[in-house]
Order: sequence, then structure tokens, then C-alpha cells
Amino acid sequence: MARYIFNRLLSLLPTLLGVAFVIFMFQRLIPGDPAVAMLGEHAAQDNVERIREQLGLNRPLFLDREALRDGDIEGFFDSQFIRYLRRLAVLDLGDSIHRRIPVAETLMLRFPATMELALLAMFLAVSIGLPVGILSAARRNSALDGVTMVGSLVGVSMPIFWLGIMMIMLFAVYLQWLPSSGRLSHDVGLETITNFVLIDSVITGNWAAFVDGLEHLAMPVIALATIPMAIIARMTRSSMLDVLQDDYIRTAHAKGVRESVVLGKHALKNAFLPVITVIGIQTGILLAGAVLTETIFAWPGIGKWIYDAILGRDYPIVQGGTLLIAVIFVVINLLVDISYAYLDPRIKYD
Amino acid sequence: MTEISSDEIGVADFAVREHRSLWIDAWRRLISNRTARLGMVVVSIFVLTTVFAHFFWEYDPRTDLDYSLKLKSPNLFPTEEVASIHPFGTDKLGRDIFRRVVHGGWNSLRVGLVAVGISLLIGGLFGLLAGFYESIGLSRAEKILLRVVIGLILGALPAWIAGQFYQALLFAALGLAAAVFDKFLAGKPTRVAFFAGIGLLIGGGLGLLVAPAVGLVCGVLGIAIGAVLSLPLGGTFFSSTVMRGMDIILAFPGYLLAIAIVAFLGPGLEKGMIAIGIVGIPVYARITRSSVLSVTQKEYILAAQSTGEGHSRILFRHIFPNILSPLTVQSTMGLAGAILSAAALGFLGLGAIPPTPEWGAMLGDSYKYLASGAWWAVVFPGVAIMLSVLGFNLLGDGLRDALDPKIQT
Repeated sequence: MARYIFNRLLSLLPTLLGVAFVIFMFQRLIPGDPAVAMLGEHAAQDNVERIREQLGLNRPLFLDREALRDGDIEGFFDSQFIRYLRRLAVLDLGDSIHRRIPVAETLMLRFPATMELALLAMFLAVSIGLPVGILSAARRNSALDGVTMVGSLVGVSMPIFWLGIMMIMLFAVYLQWLPSSGRLSHDVGLETITNFVLIDSVITGNWAAFVDGLEHLAMPVIALATIPMAIIARMTRSSMLDVLQDDYIRTAHAKGVRESVVLGKHALKNAFLPVITVIGIQTGILLAGAVLTETIFAWPGIGKWIYDAILGRDYPIVQGGTLLIAVIFVVINLLVDISYAYLDPRIKYD
Repeated sequence: MTEISSDEIGVADFAVREHRSLWIDAWRRLISNRTARLGMVVVSIFVLTTVFAHFFWEYDPRTDLDYSLKLKSPNLFPTEEVASIHPFGTDKLGRDIFRRVVHGGWNSLRVGLVAVGISLLIGGLFGLLAGFYESIGLSRAEKILLRVVIGLILGALPAWIAGQFYQALLFAALGLAAAVFDKFLAGKPTRVAFFAGIGLLIGGGLGLLVAPAVGLVCGVLGIAIGAVLSLPLGGTFFSSTVMRGMDIILAFPGYLLAIAIVAFLGPGLEKGMIAIGIVGIPVYARITRSSVLSVTQKEYILAAQSTGEGHSRILFRHIFPNILSPLTVQSTMGLAGAILSAAALGFLGLGAIPPTPEWGAMLGDSYKYLASGAWWAVVFPGVAIMLSVLGFNLLGDGLRDALDPKIQT
């Protein structure tokens, strides 16, 4: 097992290196000079040159073959890409071009917002999708099953930005029950500790902020949870249907085991493998920052941040944010694979 | 007890069934499936109206503008205020939303088809080759070709550093030699050392002609390249290289990658199609590869191999027809996904450029006017997106049931 985990971690390296390479290339291929972007269109030429030198943009992209011909091996490796990898190795993501503050710092501030949203959405999706999937498999072809199947198809077909807009229209504009944007109302103060609104308000005992935070979370969480909920319900149902046909289920029924125990213990345990894969992948997608949901609800998370940075050509943000997301993605996939071993001891690893 | 003579019940009555191909069989199952029928109805309505509108209902978005009709609510009959009929109301420029929704369908359909086409062609080809070579292995000629190409690609690096293009050709030749003499010292460390040594001679020797440091670096690279070429590189190597590449694309969340590609290419419907298509490539590659892997386990492939059929014949006559059904299902679902992604890009202002009618862009345009109560400007384009996506999803679901008789739902 430890060996398997080690091998999997090792196999992540080329993938991550590839990801870093792709991000680097994107950043360099997108038209426009970052130095000019920093100084503005009308900057003096020597200022631009100075900034280019500071940023290392005067160095070759990958390797400096001219330096090598002069016998300068260190200079040979002193390129933009190698410098970029070296900085990554010490988690230095550079400064934002427009705001001149370290990207890592903003990332730490913004990531909790995305995480709070994503984890709550996933919690909602699992706590509804899973039982609904189990029940509709158990009562196959019943009315509940029909509603689940149709509902889940509608769920995956729903443009979530449209669902978000519809909710804002109903709950924020017409009924005025819920706030339409942000994490907290302006008049609610909250001391920032972990930057998770709910956790911070519990720690400081600030219940007004807790309620306000929940109200702000309600609509984005529902919008974000819709698709994973539908996918989880469908996957649970079809996986349970497969398992329920097996002989040991009939045996359990014949022995007089209660229905709830058969479903919850015998069937679910064996049907859970594909479900956990889906949950893992969906969590990765949600943590990656739901660009659309965050845009509609003006949620200060990383999805919207990276989107704005792409439009504003703020490369260090794009680079740092995308890299973080890709790493999260890859790590979650690894965790899903490892969790298989615990759920199903029959799977052999070599 | 009455005797039943064998004349009364012919064998033909129960033992022989009319000959039907898989596709006719699947079609019958498809139309007997309620979900699939519903999906087909929705998809046909969608396709027919948009195609019909595109060719027979003229619309020029560039001249469509009437401020006197700005943000009028839907009416089915002419009223005093609005003389014309607008079943879906009008938008901020006084344009008839019904007309734009119908014409927007053409763009969504186009995006869907082109994007899925890109993913399917490229991803499918990668998956097909990866799966095929992983399980069948390479023929001798293919092994040689693979080794030559690897030698050429890897050799390009020292060739570039030293500025000697013929270095790459020499490394390609080394690959050729390693493939031709693949029995030479097979499996022994001396084989690796032998080819690494030749690599050192090529890279280091030629590099020294330029400068000592160049000779050093190219020599080290030559050793590595020689060692790689000496290994028994076969189908598994090819497959895992391709799939690692796919993993890299998969490591980026879909929307973000599409947004980044559009930021790189510039906004526009065509760029959006390319972006969505690229994002989908690994999905199709994976599905194709796993289908090929399971098909190649079948006896008829073994039979074809043992009768000496060539690789291309096995690939296209025996494997390809048998992986069509998972690909059909995936492509149908993929159309739904592509329409949704195109709408999302349009909503973010990265898809169709105004005034092109596109559902996502129409939503993005109008949702600022929500506070003024113009609900119709956001409701109808959204319903159009949802219904068309739902139609393709229903059809895909039904297709899966129809094409794969083993799965019972």
C-alpha cells in the first residue's frame, strides 16, 4: 500500500511538470508584453527594458545555447522556464501585475471563500443525491424513481448560471428574502481568522454574522450543488441497481435481514466505489472555482479571480491560480484512488 | 393427447429470426424506449426549427434595432402600445427575443457539432491508436518507425543546442539501428550501455566541434537518448505517452481551460468551438481507448490476427465498427455538454460577438436588466438552452440503453 501510494505520487511528477509547462507556454504565447502591461502603453523604452530585465523577460525561453558556446554552463540553464520552475519550487508565485501584491497572499485570502462554497455545496449534493439514489434503486420504476430520473436529467441539463439568475430574480429581486451577492452584508462586521465566514463567526461567537453568512451562502450553494447532486443520484442509482441483482442480496433477504440493513450495509458498501469516484471528481471541479457561479453571485473566490485575471492579462495570477487548481485536481484524483483500497480490499495494488 | 406433427410447427417459426443488423436492432430498441422517444422529439424540433429558420426566415442581426420597442413584455396579440407580436418580448435594443432565440439555435447547433467533431476526431484517433497498440503490439515496421521518430524528436534537442541539424538525423539512425537489431544483447544492461555509448559519441563528438561545453552537454544528452532508444519501446510505451499527455489536459478544469484558450485565440464563436473541442479531447481518447482494449480481448480479433490480417485491416474492419456504440452515446451527450459550454462562454462574454444571436450571450446581455423587471429577456434564452441540452441528454440516455443490450435499467 505505502509502495503504491509512493508510486502514484512519483507518477504525478511528470503530469505536474507538464501542467507547469503548459501554463508557462500559455502565458508566453498570449500576445502582449507583460512589461508594457505593467507600465502602460506610453512608457519610456529604457523603463520597459529595465522591467523586462527585472522580470527576466530578456532571457531566452528554455535554454541559452549562445552562453553554452562561450562555456558558460550556468548561463545555459538561466532561462525563463528554469527560473519559473525554481520559483515554483519555493512556492513563489510572483506578484500581481496590476496590484503589485504577492499572488500567494491573495490566493490564501480567496481560496477559503471558494472552499467554503464548494464544500457546503458538495455536502448538500451528497446528503440529498445519495439517499435519493439509493431509494429510487430500491423502489425501481416507482413514482419516486421516475421523479429522480427526470429530475436528475433536468439537473445535468441546467445551465447553472441561468439557475443562479432565476434564483436571484425570485429570492432577491421579487421576494427579497436573500441577498444576491457577496459573502457578508456591509453592516455586519466579522473578525477575520480563518477567512471561512461560518468558522470565524462561530469562533468569535458572532451569531449575527453566522446567520448573515448562511443567507449569503444559500443561493450560490444551491446553484453549485445542482449538477453534482444530479450526477451523484444517477450514479448511486445505477450502481445500486447493479449490486441489488447479486446473489448475496437475495441471501440477505432470505435470511430475513431488514430492508434498511440490506440496502445500507450489504448493497451500499459494494455500490459505493463508482459513487466515490464521482464525488471525488465533482469535489475537484467545485474546488477549482466555479467561475460562473462566482461571477453571478459576485463571490470573492478564486474562479472569478482567475477569470478576471485572464481578461486583464494579469499573468502571475493566472499562472499561480491555475497551478493551484491543477494540483488540487490531481491530488483529489490520487485520494480517490487510494480510498478504493480501503473500500474494496479485493483491489490489488502493485 | 393429440400428436403434433412436425409439419404443423415449422422450425422457422421459432428457431430462425429474420436477419437484422445491430443498428436496425438498436433502432427498434431506441424507438421502444420512452426516454429516447422524448429525446428524439425534442432534438428533432430543435434541429428542424433552427435549420428551417436559418434558411427560410431571414434575419440580419446587424440591422435589427428599434429603440421604440425597448424591453417590451411578451404579447401574443397586438396591443395599443405595441403593434407587432412578440411572444417572448423584446430586449434592450427592442429586438424580438423569439426571433433571436430561434436563430440562436443555429449557432448552438453549429458549436455543438464542430466542437464534438474536433474532440471526436482527435481524441478518437489518439484513443484508437493507444488502445490498439497497447493490446495488439507493434508490427516490425511500426516498431522501426516509432524508434526513428523518437530518435528524431529527442535528437532535436542536442541538434538545436549544437546548431547541427544532422545530429538529429544521426539519432534517428541510431533509433533505426536499435529497432532493427532489437535482439542484440536483448534484456542485458550491456545493451543499454552499448547504445548509450554510441549516443555519447554522436552527441559529444559532434558537440566538441562547436565548443567544449557544448560537447559536454550534448554528450550527456546523447547518453540519455541512446539509453532510451535501447529500451524495448513498444505499444505500451506509445499508449502511456499519449495518455499522459491527455492527463495533462484533464488536470485543468474544463471551463478554465476553455476560457484560457479563448483568451489566447481571442473571443468569437469559432474560437469558442475550438476551445470547447480541445477541452473534450481527453474524454474521447479515454473512452475510445478503453473500448478498444475490451474489443481486442474478443476471440474474433485473435482469429483475424491468426489468419494474418494486417493491422490497418484489423483496426478498421474489426475494431472500429465495434466501438461505434460507446462513441455514439458519448458524442450525443457531448453535444449537450458542448451547447452548455458554448452558452457559458457566451454568458461570460467570450463566445459569440454581439450582435450575433447566441443564447448564452443573450443571457449575459440581459441579466443586468433584471432589476427593472424584464424577466422575459433572461427566461426564454435559458429555457431554450435547457430544453436543447435536455433533449440531447435524453437521446444519449436512450441510445445507451438501446446500443448496449447488456445494461438493463
